[in-house]
Amino acid sequence: MSRKSVVIIGGGAGGTILANSLRKNAFDITVIDKSDKHYFQPQFLYIAFKGSKENMVRNERSLLKKHVKLVKESVSAVDLVNGIVKTVDGEYRYDYLVIATGITSNASLISGLAEINEKFGDYHTNVEQSKKVWKNLNGFNGGTIAIGQSYPLCKCPPSPLEGAFLTEEFINLKGLKGKTKIIFFTPYPRAYPAEKVNDEVEPLLKARGIEVRTFFDVDRIDAAGNTIYSIEGDSIKYDLPIIIPPCKGVSGIRYEPQSILNTDNLIKVDKYTCRVEGFDNAFAIGDAAAIPTSKSGVDAHLEAKVVAKILNKGDAKFDGRTHCPFDVGYGKGTFVIGSYDEPVIRYPITHINLFMKHVMAKIYWGSLKGTYDDIFDIYFKETNPAKLKKKYGK
Amino acid sequence: MTDQNRKLIDSRGSSCPGPITDLAIAYRNSKIGDEIELWATDPGVKADIQAWASKTGNLVESITEDKDRITIMIKIIKR
Repeated sequence: MSRKSVVIIGGGAGGTILANSLRKNAFDITVIDKSDKHYFQPQFLYIAFKGSKENMVRNERSLLKKHVKLVKESVSAVDLVNGIVKTVDGEYRYDYLVIATGITSNASLISGLAEINEKFGDYHTNVEQSKKVWKNLNGFNGGTIAIGQSYPLCKCPPSPLEGAFLTEEFINLKGLKGKTKIIFFTPYPRAYPAEKVNDEVEPLLKARGIEVRTFFDVDRIDAAGNTIYSIEGDSIKYDLPIIIPPCKGVSGIRYEPQSILNTDNLIKVDKYTCRVEGFDNAFAIGDAAAIPTSKSGVDAHLEAKVVAKILNKGDAKFDGRTHCPFDVGYGKGTFVIGSYDEPVIRYPITHINLFMKHVMAKIYWGSLKGTYDDIFDIYFKETNPAKLKKKYGK
Repeated sequence: MTDQNRKLIDSRGSSCPGPITDLAIAYRNSKIGDEIELWATDPGVKADIQAWASKTGNLVESITEDKDRITIMIKIIKR
């Protein structure tokens, strides 16, 4: 069998895991990314709410196996019909294409948000923005903190509430509880969209005095009047806003055909194989793909493994598995676990589960190279939602 | 009814964050008179969409269930 060329656009979690999982003797693998820096994005939360100074960036070259070629260029166009990826400096022909471009924050999509985003920061965009949140929290002396997501599509579904819980922990430990009101707003019908998880976290929100505004989908922000208005006709007046900007698929890449993109610039794929609609030799994984699961590193990881199996062996199926860690403050956490066939299950809030979240963060860099594949295989099998449902009940 | 004001959302298999995400995005991009057909598998969707419609003042025209999916027809009458 002749060697096949695989071009992977994007060197984030999904692109890197996939590149490292393909058979060396069967593929010429090229990863193209505009940046050669790889960020562990879940750390933004801990920069914003705990002032973490831990190193969360690595050189992408050091994360890829030696036989994988890394090209630092911006992709300008992808012609799926003819199998060509174009960059500013050249073009790359491929036998197989994987789009792993992720999603990006864009505050300008909500009227009035760009102005306050610049001033108050957020914990989804980058290190600098996360540091602004930490600085503002430390300078806060009482009033109303409004925290939430400004658009229904959001990276890491637990993270808006994680921010609310960690805000309350910070305010409480600083002795400002009596002078502070924390309002968590969400476009969903309840604080956490998946019911079983909501059943666990809602009592905590109540106990900690965090006010929840449901069906609050941000329409616009009056920065001068310190007020957020929702599409549903409600409003929140704030002293300190912590607002997650909308995110959409990466813009600036011209796709042929354009019909592979949905209205949020995500790539339309088959949810089981991650194959781009209409193209057997093209895949999209991770946040860039329009797949009905959460936008998270775990999903990017699992989808990358499925595509690697398809290319290495010919067949595999993604089961829609999610396994998102969820920090609820004061050293406790849970996981959001579900799949296409099993709506999210009930899972306890414990110290051990938060410890697991931190362990996964610690082993992230090694997991990109497949160091812990055997352990992950067992872990995901043992935490299969159908199996856990029997243990923790309906 | 033309194709331009009818939209199909396939949220089957989605439970977190769930079909309401797709509906909320479709609502943002909709205009009065649009009809949204939502497909889902998570049984929680029925109560959620009813609550959403009552909050936003829109109309749930029908909810039908068969073996593979729950189909919900929504008419946008308020923006």
